[in-house]
Amino acid sequence: MGDIGLLMDGFANALQPIYLVYALIGVTLGTAVGVLPGIGPAMTVALLLPLTLTLEPTAAFIMFAGIYYGGMYGGSTTSILLNTPGESASIVTALEGNRMAKAGRGAAALATAAVGSFVAGTIATMLLTLVAPTVARLAVQLSPADFVALMVVAFLTVAAMLGTSPSRGLASLGLGLFLGLVGTDSLTAQQRFTFGIPALADGIEVVVVAVGVFAVGETLFVAARLRRGPVPVIPVSGSWMTREDFRRSWPAWLRGTAIGFPVGTIPAGGADVSTFLSYSAERKLSKRKSEFGKGAIEGVAGPEAANNAAAAGVLVPLLTLGIPTSATAAVILAAFNSYGIRPGPLLFENEPELIWALIASLYIGNVMLLVLNLPLVGLWVRLLQIPRPYLYAGILTFAALGSYAVGASTTDLVLLGLLGLLGWAMRVFGYPIAPAVIGLILGPIAEEQFRRAMQISQGDPTALVTSPFAAITYSVLIGLFALSWWLRRRQSRLAAEVLGDDDVVPATEALPAGEVVDREGSGEPQPTGVLPVALLDPPAGTTPDDERGDRR
Amino acid sequence: MTHALPEQAPAAPERARVWPEYAFPAGLLALGVFTLVDAATIAVPVSTNTVGPRVFPYAVGALLVLAAVLVGLGVRRGERAEIEDGEDVDTTAATDWPTVAKVAAAFIALVVLVEPAGFPIAATVLFGAVAWSLGARPLLRPVLVGALIAVTLHVLFTQVLGVFLPAGPLEGVPGFG
Repeated sequence: MGDIGLLMDGFANALQPIYLVYALIGVTLGTAVGVLPGIGPAMTVALLLPLTLTLEPTAAFIMFAGIYYGGMYGGSTTSILLNTPGESASIVTALEGNRMAKAGRGAAALATAAVGSFVAGTIATMLLTLVAPTVARLAVQLSPADFVALMVVAFLTVAAMLGTSPSRGLASLGLGLFLGLVGTDSLTAQQRFTFGIPALADGIEVVVVAVGVFAVGETLFVAARLRRGPVPVIPVSGSWMTREDFRRSWPAWLRGTAIGFPVGTIPAGGADVSTFLSYSAERKLSKRKSEFGKGAIEGVAGPEAANNAAAAGVLVPLLTLGIPTSATAAVILAAFNSYGIRPGPLLFENEPELIWALIASLYIGNVMLLVLNLPLVGLWVRLLQIPRPYLYAGILTFAALGSYAVGASTTDLVLLGLLGLLGWAMRVFGYPIAPAVIGLILGPIAEEQFRRAMQISQGDPTALVTSPFAAITYSVLIGLFALSWWLRRRQSRLAAEVLGDDDVVPATEALPAGEVVDREGSGEPQPTGVLPVALLDPPAGTTPDDERGDRR
Repeated sequence: MTHALPEQAPAAPERARVWPEYAFPAGLLALGVFTLVDAATIAVPVSTNTVGPRVFPYAVGALLVLAAVLVGLGVRRGERAEIEDGEDVDTTAATDWPTVAKVAAAFIALVVLVEPAGFPIAATVLFGAVAWSLGARPLLRPVLVGALIAVTLHVLFTQVLGVFLPAGPLEGVPGFG
């Protein structure tokens, strides 16, 4: 099999000192942004997009992939030691991990998360190595109409799955698609929606949109309702994993991987869904059901493994089809675009060196991450304690830097501010951000494929659905919606169940009295429409379970 | 929302909070209609044989209108926004407008200052002002931290990574470009 040889070449390439340095920078940055609240891997890669002007592609992608993987590791530290999970992918980890930390077993929770992430990340990267070239070989035969079908699938599933309500996801997608329209039409050189402003003729930079809605939007959102007071970090205590911990963890790691990788490859909302599924599997299979909700190590091991395996899974459609199914993947796709490299079936043929060095760097990055996250965890805990005013001031400074650097123009800064207001409004009114980013980046590509398909068929729209592949894809789409509806119901039922149990356990005792506001509620989105402002501090039990049940 | 409200919740704030729920779909609807209308003005070159530059914008406009209607209907049925969660966000607190205004002012200061005063100075002002607005005291500390970060970033990006940033009055100083 030639792929093994190519992978070895990739290792030879990726092990060059300069690439190792970029990998190390990537995973370190990734862990840092994973740990820090307020910023995530999507935004970080977006901020670094200006580097694509000067950095060679292999170095840039090794770094970006490191950030992506690192973000998955870092998130677990935050959710174990700070019981206010921000990323939905780590909510589940917080359930058991946080209990373990409060019970003095924080070290074991961090260890099972890090080792589980490593095991899952490595196995899933192996699966990626095996699956991706095959998918690419098959995908070479796809016609533009088939790609249109795939992109329709990606748009609809992403809009429906990311976020709390499909209609709001669709709205967010529409906003992103509109922003993607602004500029000059690539085929006919006509200006569209530029409002006569010359600076808009080249379109709105992806960096500006992504950074605006993520970073500036988040900063405004936090500024408007900052949780005051010191950051309550639970000290890391207890021993690293005991033999018993290990015995209980490893089957959970493997099951998490088996759940996470396939869920990552289909556009089903990426990591979130896989963690919920893994958690429910662990709970069902456990012989110690009573421990769940009180710090069962399987409840950390499984979801954390699933989380990382899903990250590798997301790379399969990104690299082989050019279709991003998460916000970070979309921003990485934008980086490919800015190099003039088109991810898709031909990527493996046209850029074998780049792609295999990238895949090899994923293995290397995983090893680095294990080292960074186990012995050096103390460092990241320190990072968690950064006073929030400085953290958000820093995020805004970076946002301004990234947006200015890409075009050296103050117009971009004005746009950044306006898009920041949009991002803030979207957060307050419960519109998911990721579909907008995916629409912005994938929209123009979808339009091009659509017009090519129509040219080939000489204007006959039925050609879009009559190719066998497209026909199958649309049928699968319908099936997928049935499936995701079921997954969603399960997820929300589980969330209700799990967080319902959670409410019973008084969780605030380990934290300074008087400082904690609604720790329990923050694990689950609150229906703010009904929460009157005066109801500042509901005791843990006041959110009735049925409130969650009927909301979705 | 169809289920019972918590007992202590008075009805008034609930009703008062309904109209902003419609503001977003109304904006979406306006954008969708604008997209549809404006798409009709896009010039179509004669050489265009099948699908020109208008078709996709029409589709996007239609999608926006559809989404606006769906969200609007959802709100009427009782769907309410679920505010996004975050580690540092107190979702039950009311919007702190003075802080937001200060942060916005700091950002506007950056936009105004970045070219005449250069990135290091403008970024110091931004960092110091935002951190101070969010509660960092005394003022001197965030300003010093900001200066350190701004200068480091400026040198890193202009000298090491080769990205252009305006140096302002520091133009010509070694290391600043």
